[in-house]
Amino acid sequence: MSAVSSPNWLYGAIQRRRNRSLGGLYLVVAAFLILYAVLFPGILSVGGFSKFTQNWFPLALVTMAQALLMLNGGITLAIGPLVSLGAVIAATTMGTALGVPGGFLAVAVTGLAIGAVIGVIVAHLRLPAIIVTLAGSFIITGVALILLPRPGGFIPGWLSNTLAGHTPVAFLLLVVVLVLWKAFLATPLGLGIYAAGDNPVGAFRSGVPVERVKIVAFALSGLLAALAGLFVAAQTGSGDPIIGAPFTLNSIAAAVLGGVGFLGGKGTMRGAICGSLLLSVMINVMFFLGFPPVAQYVAQGLIIVGAVAVPELLAQWRARR
Amino acid sequence: MNAARSLFRNPPLLTFVLVALVWLIASLTLRGFGAYGHLRYLLELAAVIGIAAAGQTLVILMGGIDLSVGAVITVTAILLPIISPAWDPTGLVGIALVLTIATGIGFLNGAGAAYLRVPPIIMTLAMATFLQGLLVIVAGGSAVTVSNPAVILLGQARPLGVPAGVLLWLAVSAVVLILIHRMPIGARFLAIGANPLAARLSGVSITRNTLVLYALSGFFAGLAGILVLGMNRQGYVGIGDPYLLTSIAAVVLGGTSILGGRGTYAGTIPGAILLVTTTALITVVNASPGWRSIMFGTLILALLLISGREARR
Amino acid sequence: MTDAKPLLEARQVFKGFFGNPVLKGVDIALLPGRVHALLGENGAGKSTLINLLSGALQPDSGAIVVDGKPVGRFSPAAARAAGIAVVQQELSLTADLSIAENIGLGAFPRRFGLIDYAALHRGVREVCDMVGLTEPLDMPVADLALGRRQMVEIAKALYRKPRVLILDEPTSSLSAHEAGILARLIETLRDRGTALLYISHRLNEVQALCSHVTVLKDGGVTADQSLSGIDGEGLVRLMVGRETGDLFPPRAVSSPGALRISVEGFSAGLVRDIGFSARAGEIVGIGGLVGQGQEDLLLGLYGAIPARAAKAEVSGKPGLPAHVGAANAAGLVYVPADRKHEGLVLPHSIASNLILPSLGRLARGGLRDRAAETNLIADLARRLTIKGDVARPVQALSGGNQQKVALAKWLPLDPSVLLLNDPTRGVDIETKREIYHMLRAFAAEGRLIVIVSSDTPELVHISDRVVVLREGRVAAQLSGTAITEEAIVGAAMGVNTQGVAA
Repeated sequence: MSAVSSPNWLYGAIQRRRNRSLGGLYLVVAAFLILYAVLFPGILSVGGFSKFTQNWFPLALVTMAQALLMLNGGITLAIGPLVSLGAVIAATTMGTALGVPGGFLAVAVTGLAIGAVIGVIVAHLRLPAIIVTLAGSFIITGVALILLPRPGGFIPGWLSNTLAGHTPVAFLLLVVVLVLWKAFLATPLGLGIYAAGDNPVGAFRSGVPVERVKIVAFALSGLLAALAGLFVAAQTGSGDPIIGAPFTLNSIAAAVLGGVGFLGGKGTMRGAICGSLLLSVMINVMFFLGFPPVAQYVAQGLIIVGAVAVPELLAQWRARR
Repeated sequence: MNAARSLFRNPPLLTFVLVALVWLIASLTLRGFGAYGHLRYLLELAAVIGIAAAGQTLVILMGGIDLSVGAVITVTAILLPIISPAWDPTGLVGIALVLTIATGIGFLNGAGAAYLRVPPIIMTLAMATFLQGLLVIVAGGSAVTVSNPAVILLGQARPLGVPAGVLLWLAVSAVVLILIHRMPIGARFLAIGANPLAARLSGVSITRNTLVLYALSGFFAGLAGILVLGMNRQGYVGIGDPYLLTSIAAVVLGGTSILGGRGTYAGTIPGAILLVTTTALITVVNASPGWRSIMFGTLILALLLISGREARR
Repeated sequence: MTDAKPLLEARQVFKGFFGNPVLKGVDIALLPGRVHALLGENGAGKSTLINLLSGALQPDSGAIVVDGKPVGRFSPAAARAAGIAVVQQELSLTADLSIAENIGLGAFPRRFGLIDYAALHRGVREVCDMVGLTEPLDMPVADLALGRRQMVEIAKALYRKPRVLILDEPTSSLSAHEAGILARLIETLRDRGTALLYISHRLNEVQALCSHVTVLKDGGVTADQSLSGIDGEGLVRLMVGRETGDLFPPRAVSSPGALRISVEGFSAGLVRDIGFSARAGEIVGIGGLVGQGQEDLLLGLYGAIPARAAKAEVSGKPGLPAHVGAANAAGLVYVPADRKHEGLVLPHSIASNLILPSLGRLARGGLRDRAAETNLIADLARRLTIKGDVARPVQALSGGNQQKVALAKWLPLDPSVLLLNDPTRGVDIETKREIYHMLRAFAAEGRLIVIVSSDTPELVHISDRVVVLREGRVAAQLSGTAITEEAIVGAAMGVNTQGVAA
């Protein structure tokens, strides 16, 4: 008989514990959602819900893209340009013989490839991620501008209607993405991302292929950001080479809001997604309350500081008791 | 061969040599590049980056980063014409006021980092976001023209043929180099950057140094904003944006580690000149905005490969 | 058994860092079914040798040989595949992942590309039983105490069913009970035919468990022989080449002076509501099992962590120091246990580290006085026999020399109270002797020394008084002849000296 106290289903027990540690965040999200529903009952209708998730979906994707790297101990400033590039590629390929499937493939492959290249530079050449993605953001923006100097291109109407119409397709897509992420996290590479972020030397000594893990993290990040761009193009009906610009900041803000730390290994993807939901709610609230779009920035600044400072102050206060 | 090896081990020197090389080649191949007026103009542009990067260098040495540099420059450039009192003929009061505000913003960044324990990258990012929103609300979308005499002097005068901005940069360089290498506070910044916990247990006050550090960064960003205003003769929303990324790039190109604890301002100086030269070269080629962006990014990457390698694991 | 072929060998390996040669032609052979001790002062190259044997580093020249065949690019993955497992002092765990996920990291059972959690569960439960880990397997490792985390690290090594197991100071963070479990585990593995390499400064453990010893000194092998018939004295003689007689200085007749520290109702971190007092000229030892609040006591007095006291007087002034700067001003200095991460700024030079607390004092007119600094640094290096170029990065020094730097930097402040946290951990015997003599001299000068130590014989020989902490409270206060190893260990474990469990 084993002396070890052992749960019956290990995987489930681990997930439950991770959820328990996020209890506070879940409560805050729930509170905000309830508040939102009270103020704007429109969200409870199918149409309103669809619209909300359509605004949330690209933000959720870029937040995941950013969180992937922050969990691995890095950061990327190339999210915005990748979104733009995804939008541009979608808008320029879907009108051609490649059609929608071809366009989708082009966007996905580009995102993966660019991400992988950045990953190789950071992992094998040991250049700091912040500067490499900074330089990369210029290059990617340049490519987007060359492909489509001005907003234009073509997105088939039926695609726009499906993804960004009155049906909650966006929400279903998000669920699919989350399921795929959970599956990935249950692979050695997936856990390796956390391990290499929290204790890179320890992970290396444990036999985790830390360079390969980093490259995979960057590649997946690129994929998610590019796909977010595809969705944004479907939303607007055309491609715009600079449409992704605000997403860089938003992805960082949402990730931080969700408890993802900058030193690597701290935080969870589910936390990051909660963060993106919160940010989405806040942006919507401000919009509906009639704030000018720039007020969003003022609020975001305050929110970010608050999101980080409040838990820290609470911890300090608790330590003094 | 040994000389070459010791050159590679000294990043600031390496960057200087790189700048000299690029200038030499460009002067020989591009007509007009090597003209005194043109080189002087490049130095003027570099002065703004160099001054903004002075604060950024200090911050990065201490292991942080200041993402609010661009926003502070914009705030300074826009506020100065607005709040310069009309009763002051010299314009110095306006400069003093605006520098106080810039330093105050920096101080707030430091307070957030020190007391609220917000990581500097987030604190300064939030501050930048906050300021950008505030600026649009306060100043609308229009540009403000400067009439402050001291500022115009700074931006346009050429005592003895040397632009006043470059002279200012020289003064700032002297101050920052002394601060890093000849004052205790410099050694403390480096210790905190390399190992904050050990520094704290050795009696170095993280709180006090953080406040001073970010206040200094705000001050230098404000100074850069004043210079930019003088050179452009007007301030507008977004005028400071390019300087954020270029200030970081100048520091890293100069051989300072982005992780902190190692480096010097002596490398940032040629780093700033290198960046300005790069931009100028790209403009000469007269490419479309897309190609220009690609070239800029590629060149930063290439320069990074040469002079910005991090230490082995 | 003695005719068995070696599973893992190093042959004439050389390795150097920053221009410092650390290993100069070392040979070692690990045979199955044998517990092989690796002894040597710090700086002798033990950690480097382990890194070479486990694939974490490559030798500059020489060969690593597995099953009689030299290996080319030896990596941790290749070592793992060859059945070699290492348990090092720096843990390789990921804080937020569960115990099970940590144990399986890098060796997860797979099914269709995904981690097979059911198989992981079974395998992990088995090793946890062997090691005595009873915590729930889904618990994140961050929630465990240091000693338990060390056990997880050991379980992680065992999970891979190694043929060769290398243990580097495995008991440094373990309680006596856990160390006992480990000892029995080692014996079991030995009987199963595993080759074991055991590195420890605790000579009693080495004597009890090991049958063969290799001694490293200054990067070379000075002894490689069986341990039968060698006692503790013999072991030390092998290591330093001379007697240990004068390891500890003679106990001084102390006439303690003024009260330097007096606190009542003191709480900080794990410490709950204790009274503590100490006088000038005393050496007060703080004992107890690892993690019972000893470190928090020092940090609280030093102003480095939040602390409260009903009544407090430090260096003649009422109240506790609010922060480190205030403590320094009151004459208190602190030397942390973890010199690499808390005591020193590793990438910086020896000189920079030595001068750090004195920067303000030596400055004139706001600028640093380089000449005065150079003089001070040279003086400190001379006093503490820190040899070599002080412009070198401090990480190039051996553990013992690093500790000397961590201590020396405080001397210019003329401290009246020295708070030392495990000052001789991982330090070679020679340097230990120097440090003990230094501390006695400091006490004779009227300074107060408060020393936290997990090394009971050290506490017994160096302290005038011993305070034993258990679960954040004072379990015993011993002085004079009452200070014995049994008394300290007994109080630490809650057993009174008659041997009856409390």
